[in-house]
Amino acid sequence: MKLLTCPINGPRPLEEFAYGGEIREMPDPQTCSDSAWADYVFHRDGAPGPKREWWYHVPSGTWLVAERDTASDVVSRTYLLGEA
Amino acid sequence: MPYQLLKFALSKKHPEPAFFRQPAELKPSYDAVIIGGGGHGLAAAYYLAKEHGLTNVAVLERGYLGGGNTGRNTTIIRSNYLTPEGVAFYDASVKLWENLSQELDLNLFYSTRGHFTLAHTESAMRTMRWRAEVNKQMGVESEVVGPDVIQAAVPELDMSCSGHAPILGALYHKPGSVARHDAVAWGFGRAASEMGVEIFQNTEVTGLDIRNGRIAGVHTSRGTIKTGKVLSAVAGYTPRITKMAGFDTPIVIHPLQACVTEPMKPWLNTILVSGSLHVYVSQSSRGELVMGASLDPYEVHATRSTLDFVEGLSSHILDMFPFLAGIKVVRQWAGMADMTPDFAPVMGKTPVEGLYLDAGWGTWGFKATPISGKTMAHTLATDKPHELIHGFRLDRFRDFELTGEKGAASVGH
Amino acid sequence: MTLRLPPQPGEWIDRATPVNFTFEGQAYTGYAGDSVTSALWGAGERVLGRSFKYHRPRGLMSLANHDINVMLEDGTAINMRGDVLPLARGMELRAVNTLGGLKGDKYAVLEWMAPLLPAGFYYKAFHKPKALFPFWENVIRRMAGLGVMNPQAPRGEAIKQHRHCDVLVIGAGPAGLSAALTAAKKGVRVILADENARIGGTLGYDHAGQPTALETLARLQSEVASHPNIELLPAHYAAGWYTDHLVPLVGPSGMIKVRAGKVVVAMGAFEQPAVFRNNDLPGVMLGSASQRLIHRYAVKPFQRAVVLAGNDQAQRVVMDLHQAGVEVVAYVDLRPDADCTVIRQLGIPIYLGNCVQEALGKHAVEGVRISRWDGQGHPDPDTSMTIACDGVAVSVGWAPAAALLYQSGCKMRFDDAAQQFVPERLAPGMFAAGRVNGIYGLEAALEDGERAAREALGLATGVARAAETGSSHPWPIVPHTANKNFLDFDEDLQLKDFETAAQESFDNIELMKRFTTVGMGPSQGKHSNMNAIRVLARLRGEPIPKVGSTTARPFFHPVPLGHLAGRTFHPERRTPMHDWHAAHGATFATVGVWQRPAYYGTDKAKAVEAEVKAVRHAVGMIDVSTLGKFEVHGPQAGELLERFYTGHFVNQRVGTTRYALLLDEAGVMLDDGIVARLSNDCYYVTASTSNAATVYREMTRRLQTWGLEATIVNLTGSYGGLNLAGPHSQSLLKLLTDLDLAALANGGVAEGMVAGVQARVINVRFVAELAYEIHAPAQDIARIWLALEEAGRSVGLKPFGTDTQRLLRLEMGHFIIGQDTDGLTNPLEAGLQWVLANDKPFYLGQRSLKLLAEKPVSKRLVGFMLEAPPATLPDECCLVLRAGKIVGRLTSIAQSPTLGQVIGLAYVASEDAAPGSRITIRHQNGRDVVATVVPTPFIGVAP
Repeated sequence: MKLLTCPINGPRPLEEFAYGGEIREMPDPQTCSDSAWADYVFHRDGAPGPKREWWYHVPSGTWLVAERDTASDVVSRTYLLGEA
Repeated sequence: MPYQLLKFALSKKHPEPAFFRQPAELKPSYDAVIIGGGGHGLAAAYYLAKEHGLTNVAVLERGYLGGGNTGRNTTIIRSNYLTPEGVAFYDASVKLWENLSQELDLNLFYSTRGHFTLAHTESAMRTMRWRAEVNKQMGVESEVVGPDVIQAAVPELDMSCSGHAPILGALYHKPGSVARHDAVAWGFGRAASEMGVEIFQNTEVTGLDIRNGRIAGVHTSRGTIKTGKVLSAVAGYTPRITKMAGFDTPIVIHPLQACVTEPMKPWLNTILVSGSLHVYVSQSSRGELVMGASLDPYEVHATRSTLDFVEGLSSHILDMFPFLAGIKVVRQWAGMADMTPDFAPVMGKTPVEGLYLDAGWGTWGFKATPISGKTMAHTLATDKPHELIHGFRLDRFRDFELTGEKGAASVGH
Repeated sequence: MTLRLPPQPGEWIDRATPVNFTFEGQAYTGYAGDSVTSALWGAGERVLGRSFKYHRPRGLMSLANHDINVMLEDGTAINMRGDVLPLARGMELRAVNTLGGLKGDKYAVLEWMAPLLPAGFYYKAFHKPKALFPFWENVIRRMAGLGVMNPQAPRGEAIKQHRHCDVLVIGAGPAGLSAALTAAKKGVRVILADENARIGGTLGYDHAGQPTALETLARLQSEVASHPNIELLPAHYAAGWYTDHLVPLVGPSGMIKVRAGKVVVAMGAFEQPAVFRNNDLPGVMLGSASQRLIHRYAVKPFQRAVVLAGNDQAQRVVMDLHQAGVEVVAYVDLRPDADCTVIRQLGIPIYLGNCVQEALGKHAVEGVRISRWDGQGHPDPDTSMTIACDGVAVSVGWAPAAALLYQSGCKMRFDDAAQQFVPERLAPGMFAAGRVNGIYGLEAALEDGERAAREALGLATGVARAAETGSSHPWPIVPHTANKNFLDFDEDLQLKDFETAAQESFDNIELMKRFTTVGMGPSQGKHSNMNAIRVLARLRGEPIPKVGSTTARPFFHPVPLGHLAGRTFHPERRTPMHDWHAAHGATFATVGVWQRPAYYGTDKAKAVEAEVKAVRHAVGMIDVSTLGKFEVHGPQAGELLERFYTGHFVNQRVGTTRYALLLDEAGVMLDDGIVARLSNDCYYVTASTSNAATVYREMTRRLQTWGLEATIVNLTGSYGGLNLAGPHSQSLLKLLTDLDLAALANGGVAEGMVAGVQARVINVRFVAELAYEIHAPAQDIARIWLALEEAGRSVGLKPFGTDTQRLLRLEMGHFIIGQDTDGLTNPLEAGLQWVLANDKPFYLGQRSLKLLAEKPVSKRLVGFMLEAPPATLPDECCLVLRAGKIVGRLTSIAQSPTLGQVIGLAYVASEDAAPGSRITIRHQNGRDVVATVVPTPFIGVAP
């Protein structure tokens, strides 16, 4: 099993983590169009490549950010939100 | 002894002619180009030629025929879905499957075994009832059965699942079948090829030529071709194609893994699925147990295998069949699945005129092979979505009109 | 007849411990240390198994731990490979997949039908007429498969262990031993694994007539054994490579999952068979197999042998055979120009530039026909001659055991000189040594092991020694008009099957594999893939690198399900009152990870009715410790809840509670609970049992993204709870607390002492008009429970479970998210407009609801009563039909003991949502049942 480095707990096996999806900017719900909102809710940039993602270390309840290439599954770094 | 076998021995012409015509060069233009030489793409080519007379068609395959999810799935065919749209679509598929070996004159080993979706909780029983009632209403043979019926069909099954997840009942779907997956691609490919369709392996699409919102051609590793109609049938690669086309879809790629044991004499004569235990299993005609579980939980564009998958699956299989502890797993593999938010496919027109999607096939694509080919061929030829795929249109997300198949599709092979 | 040799130096057998066993009903004796195959061969048996498709007699072939010619079963275990099955006393074995036993296998008739059964034959037959296919399928299924599974076989308990090391060396041959010692001496932790019971690899059996290698082996063995940095794991095979260097080592009693810093693959190479007619006849074996027989098991492989050579290894085999007293009657070399000085001195007849055209004999080798050839597959029939012998040792080439390298993403290239695939670009942290690198010869292997280890440790290394040339013959393949020249022994594939496949368009390595099934048998192509690639390259007229190879997936050797599963754990959570429930006859239900009482007693209907009655007419009590329980602190705690849930919380008064509905961004209902404001900057929030973890997780994530000044404390496990419900609940609770309960009406919350315990008391009307939820620290909650139970005895208090709770809440008209909603239900359909505070600037799902609100709502959740209930009620999830079309489903239904009516919730067409509308429910028995839409709550509504 793959290892992922939790900024609090160090390298841990991936089974201790939950995937939280890509970190995406929410459009302003007050001003955006219906279709822009629907795109935000449902559509994804599904093409392979580097992404910033949410991961959650379940045993310790830690949310972290992982920079991961979805093509190679290689994580280049992990950190807590705001510590980038 | 079937006379076909005698032919092998007596005919001087054996071996038989090539299955597919494989021209050396692409033509400068085609009436339609199909991206993806898997079951779906080849079926679409077949129905385009057969039902719409469109034979100036090229099928482009980056690897080898059927090398994607067609050759990686666990070959289960069923129509016991949850939504009326899903049930109608897959029921039409099963009806095509039933005569496909004869139609393509290739033995696909279409084997109707019956399909049990086991329920271990009251809430799972409710879902089984829901599916059964929708199925019956749509004329599909499904019923909720009790433990006695399950035990009679699979006497070897530990109904208590090692004491931890007793089986309360199941959704029984009599038409549930398995088929020889590779042969499906070969059969459609051969039949399409016989009608004039050109098939190109090792030919990768590198870009789409889009002008004024209309498809004009396809760039490939072997050069550019002109065409006004392009079908993308590339489960696992859909986001790469839509990126070339310049639009997003809800599709995200997750690996789906499977494994197979060494062969043993036949004993398991049905297809078993347990959502709670994340297991599905059937025994192939070679005698292997073909097994799978749920999707990998995160996005990866690769077909790597993981150990925890096969460990978890083994543990659950042994809950059901403790006596298999000594049976060995020979091989594990993975495919890349197009996942959608509502566990239903994405089929039909796109924001780019002349570009059609046959995508979002998640874990439910193999069983849809013939009907997806037929409906996509109709959609391509007429530029009007076939009525059976209305519920699967890409626009449904923008319209907030999802087709909720999650209850029937997750771990529901 | 016994073929045991006098004691051999380094032999594995213990001659002091004879072992009796039976095979196919006949008694045999071998020695401890024997494999079943070696014991049988040593006893003079030749036919040890039958082939998969044609049921041809088979002997031993590779004896290299993947020899599928000898597959055994004992009534419990099946498909045991004879070459890796240690002999044990009392074994009763038989060959798998025979009809009427090995000797007289009636399936052998299939061989006569071989012309009818070319590769892929089953795709082209049996499907017409369609009606007959099930019959033929049945025949085919019965013919296929190997052993007969035993449904009484024990589950067993294989052990699973974890290990960490700096360097994992796989393969304890010369290269691996050298690598392990080099690394260990540099001070790092090393695990050295080998699939064989004893380490040493070729040092143990490849002697070329002189046992000097054993001295090297003894020295390395003692160094390894005494080195504190090395953990040695013999009898463990590396089953696969997984991301971040996770390598499962599978041994006899279990699996060791090794997480390595670096991995050195020194797994050697598989000797490859030559392809000629009857190359599967018992007595034809690989040269290395004959050497293993001699040196490991002291078994004489044959009396009179022909050695077929394609490389220099063959001469080492000749010398070992000669030393063991085998008469080598011919040395046949595919090459025209080999240097044969040494064996010439032994007086062995030498045939250079010759090939074996076919092996002769019915059940075992009786001779070979050889002839001159051009080295390219064209024998010269005019020169053919027959040589009598009882065995053929074949040494023509190798294929690297590179499966783990492939799995790790190593790019391999084909080395023309060595005629072998070798690593070109290794994956990070992966290293290769020895034969897998195309490096043969003892000294070279030792050096290469040292080099690999030094590279793994980031130390300066010498230059890798060039591969010894010509280790594999480029074309060890001889066509024959009568076929039976096998490329794949697992699958009985002959040379012509590949020609057929290519002609029929399957001329891509993967397509060829799938059409012919080459490499798909139990040995996974270990001795067939290389020859298949050679054949395909020639058929396509392309060089081998252009043909490529198939993907090497796990596993390296098959792994038992029991080893993969290990011990099975099914953890469950129990509430602080669990023992009390059990002592009072609770029937438990699994709710997520929790065990909860469903009702008390064994008769569900009676128990639930009595429990309902208690709550409606006296007082009842349920354990709700499993609820999600969170405290949200801080100046912006209210703001967080305001954005998270649909309602207003900033302006919520201290001491009050509010309903909390959570949506996802698409507006779908995810969970509900209550929010109690305990103080200005502290809220207490509950979530449903099954969603507790998810709600907490999402709340903490949103807290971060919104950057609010608040803290969330998860009290789900550290707090317990109970719900006291019914007309007597207030008077009963009053006995145990000074809190002003009357002031809590309409959803109040207060903190104070209950039964001497600091607790939170909340007025919640989920199951009854008058009810209190009492939450307290997990270690104290049972005291409250017991105090209430005691005080409540006189007023008829009864505990109730979740089944009763479901009915009670239904009578109250409350839905349960997950049962009465599905993965797409939004609050507009559920009739929850009243909890949507759309005057707020933002809450999760708000924007989507705004969009949905502009569209017609096609179905709505309503309460109903059955007009004339049938004897068997419709099941939950039966459909609601309108003019024959599906418009919804019923989500909850029950006979209400309080009302004496059948009540329920259902989704109906919006047109039918008004009270008084009549709806049609399709009963599971196919009949229609009519119901009337009624307002909720049901209680207090006139029928």
